[in-house]
Amino acid sequence: MKSKEQEYKEIFLAEAIDNHVELNKLLTQLEKKPDDKSAVDAIFRITHTLKGNAAGMGFKDVAEFAHLIEDLFGGIREAKISLNPDLFGTIFKSIDVLGQLIEAVRDNKKVRFLGIKTKLGVILKSTGKQKSATKKTQPKRNSLGKPKSKKIEDTPKQENSKDQPIEEADVEEDGIAKNKVAFSDLVQVPVKKLDNLLNLVGELIIERDRIIATSQSLNTSNEYARLNRISSDLQYSVMDVRLVQVGFLFNKFHRVVRDVAAVENKKVNLTLEGTETEIDRNILQIISDSLIHLIRNAVGHGLEIPDERKKVGKKEEGELTLKAYAENDAVFIEIKDDGKGIDINKVRKKAMENGLITHEEAKEMADRDIALLIFEPGFSTMDDVTSIAGRGVGMDVVKKALDAVVGTISVDTKQGKGTTFTLRLPSSMAVKGTLLFELDQEEYAIPLSYTESVVSLYRSEIHKVGNRLAAVHSGQTISIVFLKDLFDSHKNVTGNILHRTFDQLHPEQKLDIVVISHNGKKAGFVVDKLFQQKEIVEKPLSKPVDKSIFFSGVTIMGNGNACLVLNVAAICNLIFSRNLSGQGKITY
Amino acid sequence: MNDLKEPKKEGHLEEISYDSEQIIVFKQAGEEYGLHIDQIKEVVITPNITRMPQTPHYIKGVANIRGNIIAIIDLEEKFGLKDDQNTSVKSDEQCYTLVVESEEFKVGILVNEVPNTLTVSTKDIEDSINIASSGEVDQDYIRGIIKLKDRLVILIDIFKVLNEKDKDLIVGKNHVD
Repeated sequence: MKSKEQEYKEIFLAEAIDNHVELNKLLTQLEKKPDDKSAVDAIFRITHTLKGNAAGMGFKDVAEFAHLIEDLFGGIREAKISLNPDLFGTIFKSIDVLGQLIEAVRDNKKVRFLGIKTKLGVILKSTGKQKSATKKTQPKRNSLGKPKSKKIEDTPKQENSKDQPIEEADVEEDGIAKNKVAFSDLVQVPVKKLDNLLNLVGELIIERDRIIATSQSLNTSNEYARLNRISSDLQYSVMDVRLVQVGFLFNKFHRVVRDVAAVENKKVNLTLEGTETEIDRNILQIISDSLIHLIRNAVGHGLEIPDERKKVGKKEEGELTLKAYAENDAVFIEIKDDGKGIDINKVRKKAMENGLITHEEAKEMADRDIALLIFEPGFSTMDDVTSIAGRGVGMDVVKKALDAVVGTISVDTKQGKGTTFTLRLPSSMAVKGTLLFELDQEEYAIPLSYTESVVSLYRSEIHKVGNRLAAVHSGQTISIVFLKDLFDSHKNVTGNILHRTFDQLHPEQKLDIVVISHNGKKAGFVVDKLFQQKEIVEKPLSKPVDKSIFFSGVTIMGNGNACLVLNVAAICNLIFSRNLSGQGKITY
Repeated sequence: MNDLKEPKKEGHLEEISYDSEQIIVFKQAGEEYGLHIDQIKEVVITPNITRMPQTPHYIKGVANIRGNIIAIIDLEEKFGLKDDQNTSVKSDEQCYTLVVESEEFKVGILVNEVPNTLTVSTKDIEDSINIASSGEVDQDYIRGIIKLKDRLVILIDIFKVLNEKDKDLIVGKNHVD
């Protein structure tokens, strides 16, 4: 396997070569239309990126040279340097040299670029002189014997052309090699194409399962061993292609942290760990906003201002750690600060004020669960609203994003010591482990990431608690819901919806219950019959049934039937929001 | 994919002129309905339908058609042409599914028999403004009436049907406060 270093280098090269091609294109454009401001801006931007990337990778030559070109275009942008054909010649040559320097990163060839570098330096210096000259010492310049320079821009032009002949020979001697067309070893592919590929592989797997299932009776399972292996390999290869390193996202957070810290007058040291952990690109995209929210929150609310930190004997600089690691099929991302921690009592009080929990619930709920309330919509403990965080919106975005990718979050906070948010994310969206069950003669799938256990209880062990049902499961009281009642709840039924099926059952009736847990809350779903576990490829529901609140998607079974996948997060939110708000009757 | 519609198209090739339209005709509750051929992707034998809770009554569920999972709709129920008693009896007969597709939607419509193609000239299509409306149902989706010697075909725009107001009713939102 290639080392990470090598991999980074290849990615850098791919980007740099792209940048170089783009530069050439823009420059040709600019030559035709020298007053094209957007082209100048674009060149400036690209060289800036290139400089940054190269500096980050430690390719000094590329970075320095790109920096010079950036400066040059900075000057052009601010109209300190004007473009003329001579200058274009120089710029084209310098872009070529830049291309060679990028190539040199790959093959370690020596590129002589001092000549052109000096030349660019001279052009830049002359504008620098020009600037100071025009600003301060206008008369002096006149005395130099150029009294007729009407426009500021005129002068550098003359100076350029004056410099040109002297440097020209030098450049030729440097022996700029003939232009070669560079090909990158990486191919950029639109994510949409990858999605499509994954869909096709998903269908292939379904088809494979179907064939194997139908031929099982013929006792030919060995026949399909190869097909099985090849298609599985194909599936994992496609999934692998979609994986990206979390570092790509994490590295962008330096800036986010800096900006927030600047606004809040805080000192923050950001540490990144496990940046090479790989995760599905789409998942990373969906949770990126959430991570930004959590980071802003950690800096804005978690960490104290330097003075305060000194008082409690901490370093002035707050420590913020972003850590990623893979475990089993999941990727964990930790956001850890050593700030003041979440004030659980304040959260508890606020949650009661906002009607998120009742007084009784507030007393009973564990601190850990109370802390999770900050992710409820419309919750904010910050009394003063800052631009960074604390508008009461935001944290619920985190929960929504996590629900979308079937992830979970937990909070670990110690007063005065700091807070750690841990996000548990699936590493790939492609395959989901699910548990199949039957309800009302239809098959459904429930994601294993939410299921805790499967239990069998007698009806008599389930009790009516107010308008709902509850049972004791391994020492814990859990809410019991007959899924059938929930699904039928829109039909005009009278009486208590959640008690309906329960009331019709014999006390000795044995019930299969799937215990699920979602963000620290547990519930038991009563189903008709439990089947086996199955890895499925989930597809989104299409219009007009895409707005379903109970189902996140659908999959195709071995027999070709469609099977709905339960949206546990949404169902839980539905059940528990009612629970939390303490409303009496369920009204659909 | 288009195996069903392609050959038929060819069969009518000579009849096609600038002002003629190709219509797929299917029966619903004894009446003939027509859809523009562009809106139809294929006709398949109705696959096993998975019922979906919390959907309007006329959405029969979802089904797998060539690896695509689409919603299956019973137009007779949608148009209120079915009384409650024969709902269960009839469903066995609806053995074909007409797959209609637009950029936005892809749904299947249950039909009793294999639909026919019909080439009609544009002048035979009559605007439907004159049809009395019950007032309750928005009849925007009726594009016109095709009058032939002894037949009357109701030309509908299937996507307007699906886009009707009660689309919001589909699943959830309104049932949950």
